[in-house]
Amino acid sequence: MSPDIYIETGTTLKWLLTTAWLLPLAGFLIEVFGGYWSGRKSRAAAFLAVGCIATGFVCSLIALLTWLDAADLNVSDIWQNPRAVAAATHEVSEATHVDHEHDADHAADAEHHGDHEHAVPAHSEEEHHGHAAHGNNPLKFAFNGTFYTLAKFGRIQITLDYYIDGLTVLMFTMVTFIATCIHLFAIGYMSDELTESYEDHQVHLPGGKHFHRPGRFYRFFSFLSLFCFAMLGLVLAGNIFQVFIFWELVGVCSYLLIGFYVERKSASTAANKAFIMNRVGDFGFLIGLMILWTWFGTFQFANTNPDQTGEQGLFQMVRTDAGAIETEGEGLNRVAYMQSATGEHLLGNDGQARRIPYWLLVVAGLGIFAGCVGKSAQFPLQTWLPDAMEGPTPVSALVHSATMVAAGVYLAGRFFPMFTPEVLLVIAYVGAITAFIGATIALVVTDIKQVLAYSTISQLGYMMLAIGVGGWLAGLFHLITHAFFKSLMFLCSGSVIHGCHHEQEMTKMGGLYKKMPITCWTMWIGVVAISGLAIPITLPYLGAISFSGFHSKDAIIASSLSFSTLNPTHSLLFFIPLITAGITAFYMHRMWFMTFFGKPKDHHVHDHAHESPWVMCGPLLALSFFAAFCAVGGESGPLANLLLTSEPTHVAGGVQAAGELGLTLPSHHEIHECHSQAGMMALLAALMGTVVAYLFYCKQAVDPALVKARFESAHRFLKSKWQFDEIYDSMFTRPVHVVAKWCTGFDREALDRFLHSCASLAVGIAQWDRKFDEAVVDRIVNVFGEVTYAAGRTLKGVQTGRLRQYVMFIAAAVVCLFVVLFLFLPR
Amino acid sequence: MEPLTLLSLIIFLPTIGALGLYAFDKKAEESMRMFALAITAVTFGLTLFLLGQFDMAQGAMQLQVSIPWVPTWNINYQLGVDGISMPLVLLTSLVSMLAMMASWSIKEKIRGYLTLFLLLETGMLGVFLSLDFFLFYVFWEVMLLPMYFLIGVWGGPRREYAAIKFFLYTLAGSVLMLIAMLMLYFGSGESSLTGGQNIFDLLKLGEIAKAGEFSSGTQVVAFILLFIGFAIKLPAFPFHTWLPDAHVEAPTPISMILAGVLLKMGGYGIIRIAMPICPYGAQYAAYALVALGVFSIIYGAFAAMAQTDFKRLVAYSSVSHMGYVLIGMAVWKINEATGTTVNPNHWQMGMAGAMFQMLGHGISSAGMFFMVGVLYDRVHHRDLNKFGGIMQKMPFYSGLAVVIFFAGLGLPGLCGFIGEVFVVLSTWNFSPLLAVIAASGVILTAGYILWTIQRVYLGPEYKGPHPEDLTPINGRETAIALTLIVFAVLMGVFPYTFGLQMMTPSIENLTQSMSTGYETLHQAGSEIISMSQP
Repeated sequence: MSPDIYIETGTTLKWLLTTAWLLPLAGFLIEVFGGYWSGRKSRAAAFLAVGCIATGFVCSLIALLTWLDAADLNVSDIWQNPRAVAAATHEVSEATHVDHEHDADHAADAEHHGDHEHAVPAHSEEEHHGHAAHGNNPLKFAFNGTFYTLAKFGRIQITLDYYIDGLTVLMFTMVTFIATCIHLFAIGYMSDELTESYEDHQVHLPGGKHFHRPGRFYRFFSFLSLFCFAMLGLVLAGNIFQVFIFWELVGVCSYLLIGFYVERKSASTAANKAFIMNRVGDFGFLIGLMILWTWFGTFQFANTNPDQTGEQGLFQMVRTDAGAIETEGEGLNRVAYMQSATGEHLLGNDGQARRIPYWLLVVAGLGIFAGCVGKSAQFPLQTWLPDAMEGPTPVSALVHSATMVAAGVYLAGRFFPMFTPEVLLVIAYVGAITAFIGATIALVVTDIKQVLAYSTISQLGYMMLAIGVGGWLAGLFHLITHAFFKSLMFLCSGSVIHGCHHEQEMTKMGGLYKKMPITCWTMWIGVVAISGLAIPITLPYLGAISFSGFHSKDAIIASSLSFSTLNPTHSLLFFIPLITAGITAFYMHRMWFMTFFGKPKDHHVHDHAHESPWVMCGPLLALSFFAAFCAVGGESGPLANLLLTSEPTHVAGGVQAAGELGLTLPSHHEIHECHSQAGMMALLAALMGTVVAYLFYCKQAVDPALVKARFESAHRFLKSKWQFDEIYDSMFTRPVHVVAKWCTGFDREALDRFLHSCASLAVGIAQWDRKFDEAVVDRIVNVFGEVTYAAGRTLKGVQTGRLRQYVMFIAAAVVCLFVVLFLFLPR
Repeated sequence: MEPLTLLSLIIFLPTIGALGLYAFDKKAEESMRMFALAITAVTFGLTLFLLGQFDMAQGAMQLQVSIPWVPTWNINYQLGVDGISMPLVLLTSLVSMLAMMASWSIKEKIRGYLTLFLLLETGMLGVFLSLDFFLFYVFWEVMLLPMYFLIGVWGGPRREYAAIKFFLYTLAGSVLMLIAMLMLYFGSGESSLTGGQNIFDLLKLGEIAKAGEFSSGTQVVAFILLFIGFAIKLPAFPFHTWLPDAHVEAPTPISMILAGVLLKMGGYGIIRIAMPICPYGAQYAAYALVALGVFSIIYGAFAAMAQTDFKRLVAYSSVSHMGYVLIGMAVWKINEATGTTVNPNHWQMGMAGAMFQMLGHGISSAGMFFMVGVLYDRVHHRDLNKFGGIMQKMPFYSGLAVVIFFAGLGLPGLCGFIGEVFVVLSTWNFSPLLAVIAASGVILTAGYILWTIQRVYLGPEYKGPHPEDLTPINGRETAIALTLIVFAVLMGVFPYTFGLQMMTPSIENLTQSMSTGYETLHQAGSEIISMSQP
């Protein structure tokens, strides 16, 4: 791309996305102040918020098209030609290009009987050219630049940047679209806030009364707008420091939204917990930032300017053009060389090659990942997310499933080039453990939103796992598909809750499918999608007949199978997600059956239930369309192809025995080889889960209560959420308060007491001093005085006033004087 | 306007105003208040005018004036501003003006209060503007006395105790400073740069240090003396216990001044006097300083968490936040062998972070104390466990308060973030261990601030006495809070324009001068060692 076109396109994209990013901020300001000073019954705030975010969606969509155009891709390319993007970015000559298309058709035709052999052409390419040649170049169609400078110290500076590539525009489009749907939904869901006196049934005042307050319709929408601003800023960010800034901002928005019902103690506690847990992760994030800043002196992701001006970004410094980390030495002495723009070692001021200890690179990666752990509610910081369900349901759909919590996965994907194999292994295990823990707890919870919350945790674990095992595409693919189907399901649950007058317990629902058919069947789409069910027949271009979740989950299982085949010691990383896939299908269907089928369990709830208004059902339909079809074509479909343009260079070819642990990451080719096998197994697991759920909760062939009684202790363990809250409470919360008490105690008992004793010592000395003064100094003075006085008093007797006596004294004195003179004067 | 007139007017206008108060009738309280407010506003305007005269690209001292005051002892009336003092001067006049606006809550002995308040402002501005050590010392003491009376007369129930504690603590610091001042004064006579004269000129003293003409022993002793003197003011652990008492007893506007400006004098003293004049001493003590800063952060945060008095909590949060200032200034890593500075840019960043933290804390802590004061004026108690539900009763006030508390928490986009994060980022270069501990402060800070917000503002209803007095925030109070918030946002979003831009060149000069000064002594020292070895 020529520099001119680069600048032109970059500027267009920048303004489009900046508009989409800043509009919600403007909306927030108007809504929060305007709302406060206007009436409580106005819907204006909602319309403004929807207007802002919908305009943002339009801008993002235009940006997406502009970007595709700039990257020499058009919609039909992505749609028709598997790996077209990869081919285009690699500038495969036109002739071979056509050949490959033929190959593709042949191959696809030939393998129709298979499950879902979609990416065959990619193989042939890889086989033709070898692995290394087929690394994607994600920087080629990335646009970056600077908004303004935050600080500058000599040669180092911190700026606010933008970085726009396929992933950015895709995330923008996804976030703004889902946010628009959820905003619309919220107009209906939050409508009972449009009042001067809202009665909160969950807050009990002394005296048995309920709490009354003015409605907060406008406040809700202003917070949503602020959140959209922060989230889009996070995606647009061009350096890791800026990510951190917006990372914290989405955190505070999440805090405000979880604690939206400020009068509920449970809500404000949940909000605090979310923020503090996130800060624990951010502590790690900060450590990562410190290391990067000290050793690299820059925070920029990459400098993609084609005329090679400016400094290298982090990704370019840490990896060669071929995508390898160049290291030397062993163990703790191992160092990684930094790369310059010309493909040589980067030299420092002293002329030496700049290097960073490899273990610090690992620590930095783990630190950044710690931030992701907090934000994406991964083990061991997962406990805040279920509590976050205290917020209104649209918030759960937008913030706590589709976008903010997925930001951790987004960052892990974005920052992938900085992660060494050791870090990836940690990511993989954390993801696997999280997926399993989340799924098992979801088995026993009965609150409809809690089921979805634990399922979110579990699915985020899947994404992390995928990224950890080198399935970059699979992880981000699942991020997008999950965003659609999980926000859909949350909105469905919101519709159910709204329809049942704020009843969330599934044990009181049942048989609602006739009362709310739209909610029921849109939710079914979500349930099938997340379970990964499919009909194993492959259609040309479209892949298997299935909803989006199947494709992405399939990709994850395939990646992990491939990884555990290459690294047999880590075979758990395949079995855990496989088992979890079965559990997922079970608990999701359990939820669906319990809510919509069977006999109504609470007639009061059932009788008053009603389908939601169109402003709520419309978004459900829109989202269900995308939940079903956004991943059409699977890993050779348009969505995957678009994502692939941002795939880091070293992913496609895999990594051989890298790092201190000698881990091997699978290549595209290797992943693909075990695709059908993994897909079959995952499908079987999902089917089993579904059938069991059907037998338990729809057919009622087995009574769940019996099973519960049989496994009483396990049930209790799961019901108490693996006891994380108790452990954290006794390990951290209480000790912190104890130490806090010690600190104030130390101030009072040690420092102040010392001061006070100094003071009383001074007073003591002063008193002693006073005594000394009185007893000694004063006494001496007094004695002098007294003596003088006494002398005077005695001499007083001489003053008689008699003249003769005076004359006699004078005479005597004269005589005495003469005597003295004669005796003593020298002669 | 001539620099001499301008700078003198900035310093002494409040004093003139204080005299002017006596032209009013004793009962004309409202007019005296308005008059005093006008004086502080004009002073603020003058400092803005000074900013207009100030060239941000220059790192050197600007608008210097020097008139002999006591020529026999080379004491001059010497003033000037650079990128380090300029932002603090602005902060002082701004916070003074806002605190004056907040002084409507003072109901008794108005004239005396206003007089002392204005004298205090003169003292504070004098400290930040003077370039002569003796003059600095005089202003330092001038500021002390009004503060003593303001706490001791208009304070809460334990005001005498708090006032005396404050006074004695600071005085102890001043004595140490006086000793160091005399040490340097007589030491300067031996330098070749002064021609045998003893001087108090801070810039000249800095040049002597840069040339390495203060011996390392002098520097270490003087630095420690000066540091303790300033650390009391900062305050750093273990010299901080005057602060909670002073804050709790002081009336709201005085708390704002105390937290917003007076604490900054400690940091300013270190950065203006202790460090440039004793670079060797600073480097000698660098690790201890950073460690002390880190400890203050953690200790202050823990102590804040255990408080039940709202003001005490904010006071301890100040101890915690000022720890960052100490760290940022001292993250000066040198190459042990050559004595050269390692990664000077990171040190500059730390120093800029420390300076920015002072400004940010000046805004946020003044705001926090003000917000506490608004509540105290209404319900006359500060027990954290007897609040709750303020958000329901005073929604607008609560919204503003939450923003200010978030600024204290270090939320990006508000003023507290830049300082904290810059300091922490620059610390790894100095010591990874201390950097990690300092960074862990973010968790504790979030903990105590959020817990406070929950206990005071959230919840269904107010649990304390006088619920009927919880009236909405009035226009005057809104104006104060909004001004602070506007500054907090501007500084958080555009840190370069609103702060870093004018500091950076001066900080660069300072670090370079200190590096040179240290290196010279280091090389001389290593020569001595190599000569003594056969």
